Amino acid sequence: MKRMMAGLGGALILAGGLAHAQEGDALLDMSWDEIVETARGGEVNVFMWGGADNINAYVSDYIGGQLEDDYDITLNRVPLTDTAEAVNIVLGEVEAGAAEGAVDMIWINGENFRTMKQGDLAWCGYVDKLPNADLVNFDNPAIANDFGTPVEGCEVPWSRVQFAFANDTARTPEPPRSIPELIDWAEANPGRFTYPAPPDFTGAAFVRHVFTHVAGGADALIGPFDQAKFDEVAEETWEILNDLEPHLWREGRTYPTSITQLQQMFANQEVDLFFTYDPAEVGTAVANGIFPETMQSYGLSDGTLANTNYMVIPVNAANKAAALVTQNLLLSGEAQLEKAQPEVWGAATVIEPDRASKEVQAGFAALERHPSVVSIEELGQAALPELTPDWTSKIEDGWIENVGN
Amino acid sequence: MAGSRTSATEVIGRGHPWLSLAPALGVIAVLFGGGLVLGLAGSFGMGRGGWTFEPWLAVLSEGRVWRALGLSLWIAFASTALACGLGLGAALLLRRRFPGQGLARLLFQINLTIPHAVGALGILWLLSQSGFLARLAGGAGLIDGPAGFPALTQDRHAIGIIAHYVWKEVPFIGLILLANMQSIGDDPEAAARSLGASPFAAMRLVLLPLLRPALIRAGAIVFAFSFGAWEVPVLLGQSAPPALPVLAWQRFTDPDLAARPEAMAIAMLIALVSALLIRAAFAGRS
Repeated sequence: MKRMMAGLGGALILAGGLAHAQEGDALLDMSWDEIVETARGGEVNVFMWGGADNINAYVSDYIGGQLEDDYDITLNRVPLTDTAEAVNIVLGEVEAGAAEGAVDMIWINGENFRTMKQGDLAWCGYVDKLPNADLVNFDNPAIANDFGTPVEGCEVPWSRVQFAFANDTARTPEPPRSIPELIDWAEANPGRFTYPAPPDFTGAAFVRHVFTHVAGGADALIGPFDQAKFDEVAEETWEILNDLEPHLWREGRTYPTSITQLQQMFANQEVDLFFTYDPAEVGTAVANGIFPETMQSYGLSDGTLANTNYMVIPVNAANKAAALVTQNLLLSGEAQLEKAQPEVWGAATVIEPDRASKEVQAGFAALERHPSVVSIEELGQAALPELTPDWTSKIEDGWIENVGN
Repeated sequence: MAGSRTSATEVIGRGHPWLSLAPALGVIAVLFGGGLVLGLAGSFGMGRGGWTFEPWLAVLSEGRVWRALGLSLWIAFASTALACGLGLGAALLLRRRFPGQGLARLLFQINLTIPHAVGALGILWLLSQSGFLARLAGGAGLIDGPAGFPALTQDRHAIGIIAHYVWKEVPFIGLILLANMQSIGDDPEAAARSLGASPFAAMRLVLLPLLRPALIRAGAIVFAFSFGAWEVPVLLGQSAPPALPVLAWQRFTDPDLAARPEAMAIAMLIALVSALLIRAAFAGRS
């Protein structure tokens, strides 16, 4: 009976897989104009983290408006608090054999992308169909690898971000500018620093900075997971972070549970340092009056982690043609330039501006950033590659077990 | 008009009771029972290639799960006990007739309509170390900075979470007891008084035993909610240990697919513990 059930389930999944593979293959045989005609009049359901109003407005109004005007496509933006929720939906649907999934596109990177790729949940092999893909340099290792996982045509880049620290120059004129300085600073200013507890994304990235520092730089951690190396580095990292605890907010007995909480605590002057994986957010927070005008963001002398985020189309997406048209629009020089405007979002582009039109090139050259946002060039001088998901999940679990208990 | 046509209640009331209940029971069986069965199957690895006890063994042998269970039990017991005590007291006060009684009852039940997440944010703004009370204390010169204010949210004893549940559930308990007292009426107490009982004895020996079943039923609902809800501890809780539902959510949103069955096992553990304790409370009643 058990075997029969399993066999039946397998057959269903297989049948479902075949059905969506066929639909995708048919699209890949079409010309771009035929794909656009197929997509016309349809809709596309985009699932993305919904925590920033300016990002939501850019996608719903700017991108959604152009899709409506030029292609008669309706964009439905579905906000998420955690990208894994969308991955769960796709996983559940594919397990149940649903060929017409509810999710057409997910804003994604890192571990979630690896999960989709490993579970054969991502639709692959369509990227060279997109005319605007020519604007992207896919040979750039920072774009060809998503947290160490080869992209291999299974997702399309959207923005680049790099981790930065931030402080209020009126309150803290001399913030620490490296991990060792930060540890000394926290000890000298008891209760004025903390970081969100992993599995919070930004908090986990902060822990990776300490981990990378202990390892002696990112070069030591490149490549496949190495248990012996991990044990050696982890032991010292946990020791440093445990020694730091008495000097943290609430003596390290508890940690904020999200980056949003840390942002509020910084705004309420409970702590004196903030950090973010997207420095443009600091400018947005100043513009919204959450942070003071005297805010500045900055990188570390020993470097900060950088990554690229992407858009993925699930293998069972019901509206693949409309999703392709949307992805092509997201990659256009004009849309990337709009997204880079500081008052819109201030997100760093993934295209090579010199491959775009003269107007777009001039637009990128004329970009002005918010005075509180560190320039991507300055940050980029010391950019650390992200670790592979094997490393990141081991570091998260290790922190929870050894530090955050 | 009445009598000339068959009323809706008559149509629904016709036939066997099971038949009449079928639509409602069908919805419960499919939506609730179906979810429960799928969750249970998921906790044994269904959909991940074969049945296994491993997720349960992993969950039950993990110290973090037991600490989270302990915290959730503390939150649920403390919230239920305080809400029942205060709710009972409030109901006893509000049943008396006094000028402005209608207004008092309205104010008493007004927060029933406020969603839990909104209430939790309100607690955060009121009680946190940079909240309203902390700012008042700072303005009055009682504390130097946020750290000088006692930690009432994200704190070790879950004071913020319990404060929220008590604030939210006292009117719920009170309202159920008020309705119950209305249906009991004044007669049993009046009879006891006429036989020589003091007002306090009449309340303790006659009214309270009559209210007990309703109090246990209302308390069970409060317990189940405060034990199993996720949104309040995620907003007001500390980082470690997290409340059990928060831990289940963290596992469910873990990018590692292998953590999903564990998330299901924790969710099932929540349902199981909750069901057993409520069963015990009802058994102790009779």
